[in-house]
Amino acid sequence: MAIVTKSRSQIPVSFWPLLVLTLIGVGLAIYRLVVGLGPTTNLNDHYPWGLWITIDLFLIPVAGAAFTISLISYFLGRADYHSIIRPAVLAGFIGYSIVGILLFMDIGRWHQFYNIFVPPWINLHSFLEEISLCVTLYTGILILEIAPVFLEKWGYKTPIRWIERGIFVIAGAGIVLSMLHQSSLGSLFLLMPHKLHPLWWTPALPLLFYLQAVYTGLGATAVVIRIIWRALKLPINRELFRRIGQAMSINLMLYAAIKVGDWMGAGEVPLLLKPDIFGMIAWLQFLIGIVLPLGILLSKLVGHTAGPFWAGVFALIGTFIDRLVISWVGLAEPSPVSYFPSWIEIMITVGMIAGGFLLYGAVVRYFKIFPEPEHAH
Amino acid sequence: MTINRRDFLKVAGLAVGCALAVPDQVNASPSSKDLNEQFAMLYDATICVGCNACTMACRQWNGTEPETDARQLYDAPTELSADTFTLIQLYQGGNGESFVKRQCMHCVEPACVSGCPVHALEKTADGPVIYDPDRCIGCRYCQYVCPFHVPRFEWDVARFPVIAKCHFCYESRIQKGIGGPACADRCPTGALIWGKRGDLLAEARKRISENPGRYVDHIYGEDDAGGTSVLYLSAVPFENLGLEDLGTRSIPEISEGTAELVLPGILIGGPILLGMIRLTAKRGGWEETWPL
Repeated sequence: MAIVTKSRSQIPVSFWPLLVLTLIGVGLAIYRLVVGLGPTTNLNDHYPWGLWITIDLFLIPVAGAAFTISLISYFLGRADYHSIIRPAVLAGFIGYSIVGILLFMDIGRWHQFYNIFVPPWINLHSFLEEISLCVTLYTGILILEIAPVFLEKWGYKTPIRWIERGIFVIAGAGIVLSMLHQSSLGSLFLLMPHKLHPLWWTPALPLLFYLQAVYTGLGATAVVIRIIWRALKLPINRELFRRIGQAMSINLMLYAAIKVGDWMGAGEVPLLLKPDIFGMIAWLQFLIGIVLPLGILLSKLVGHTAGPFWAGVFALIGTFIDRLVISWVGLAEPSPVSYFPSWIEIMITVGMIAGGFLLYGAVVRYFKIFPEPEHAH
Repeated sequence: MTINRRDFLKVAGLAVGCALAVPDQVNASPSSKDLNEQFAMLYDATICVGCNACTMACRQWNGTEPETDARQLYDAPTELSADTFTLIQLYQGGNGESFVKRQCMHCVEPACVSGCPVHALEKTADGPVIYDPDRCIGCRYCQYVCPFHVPRFEWDVARFPVIAKCHFCYESRIQKGIGGPACADRCPTGALIWGKRGDLLAEARKRISENPGRYVDHIYGEDDAGGTSVLYLSAVPFENLGLEDLGTRSIPEISEGTAELVLPGILIGGPILLGMIRLTAKRGGWEETWPL
């Protein structure tokens, strides 16, 4: 993380490649909006959704770190989590911004995207509508939560006081909106009982997606905090890591119980034993994404920062596999057509993520996001 | 920073406010009109000769472009597409030969209507499922949720592509009193007829009972996937014709049930739970029991 540096005098090396990737991404994004989806993507009538939706489905639980941390910090009143609220909320805001941009890339009739806000047309039975509304509102909440970082730098005291006074309502609304759309991402697939592979389709999808968002967000926090804290030579709070690890393990256990319960209850165990690609992926996902992190967190390793860090890494991989299968691989229908993202789809995605890193680095450089290092040079 | 009872009431008030703001609406449930009175089509695969007159009638009424073969001599679509809302396919296999017509099934409880975020797809009281491009944002969720793989997207249109599918000629012919769906009115053999769903079901049952051994003893669409407005009779098993066994449950049932439970549940329960967590934490209640 060379972009995270305290010396403002020189531009870090990683700045230039990130800038180039971002600019390429922005250029291609404009090109896509002008010429349409056909010439720029490999999407087709058999695979109407592709890379962008998969990335969105993965980024949303990762950026969900912001809501989990604010839940623990503000509502459970854990003071030691305060030091990581700002990095988490900033990451959340940038993550949701990328999600928003990629969704905008994906919709074919973007010139009237605002129709999702036209009251008489709102379909409250549509989980896609609910997600659209929640993600928009939640991005607004994240702006309010991160605003003090900028306001304090520019010397606006009054609005900061308003935000601080209303923080429980603001953070509370953010948590409720997150609970809604994190679970609704799973509910999106309730309408596809005949399309999604039975090992993944279950009426419990909303609950599974919600629990996954909580432990993935916590895992991502452990991973990012360890990397950044080390780069900045900040003292790492081991107790905080142990707590993050324990919160993760509780949610992992609940997830595992529901997942196994569903497999057994729906009589899908034979599918797990079938030597096909889906049975294999299901095992892989369960072992890497659930069993491995749980094993680490239930052992003595939870007391070291490496424990929650590696548990986080594996949980992230597991969640990525899960979202990949649910949004793409597991939806395969018998057809001669297949899908692999085009280079334009890939470069737009890479560009937006590079832009996210760039923005994070820039904000970190000029504003107070991390606690002041005590022994830094 | 502290929270007191007043803050808690603020949070609780917000929750109730949100809950009240959720209007009670039902959309993918059966329309007001009695199901038997709704419009439907009956396709008898044993009568169809595969002449594709239905496809041509559909083209003329919808102004769609032909999809020609390699020599550009025949209009020869092989699949539904943004330009082909209906076509005849041929099955050849162990159970004999059969044609099968493809088009939107106009489900009694359509998944596309339930999933569409902006009500761009609507189930009319008369039965047909119609589409309004002025509302559509082009998200293509309808393509994913349709159990019959029907809706198509104009991938090659830059500004601005629409969802393409059969609309039962509802606005272009039925409402204007011109007749029924162009395809059904054009069919020279009587393999495709249209009318009231109840009458067509009676006709289908009559055909099955009067011609023992001619048909598979099932009217596809009577209750498949919760019922459709396009009904099929066939001599070969329906799976062979690409009409899968989808059960009799309507597709949106679980999804809509979840929406009705989860939305108010989280909007009301979430803030109350948060308030309770906060109050308990303030009293130090978590210190002993909560491992975080």
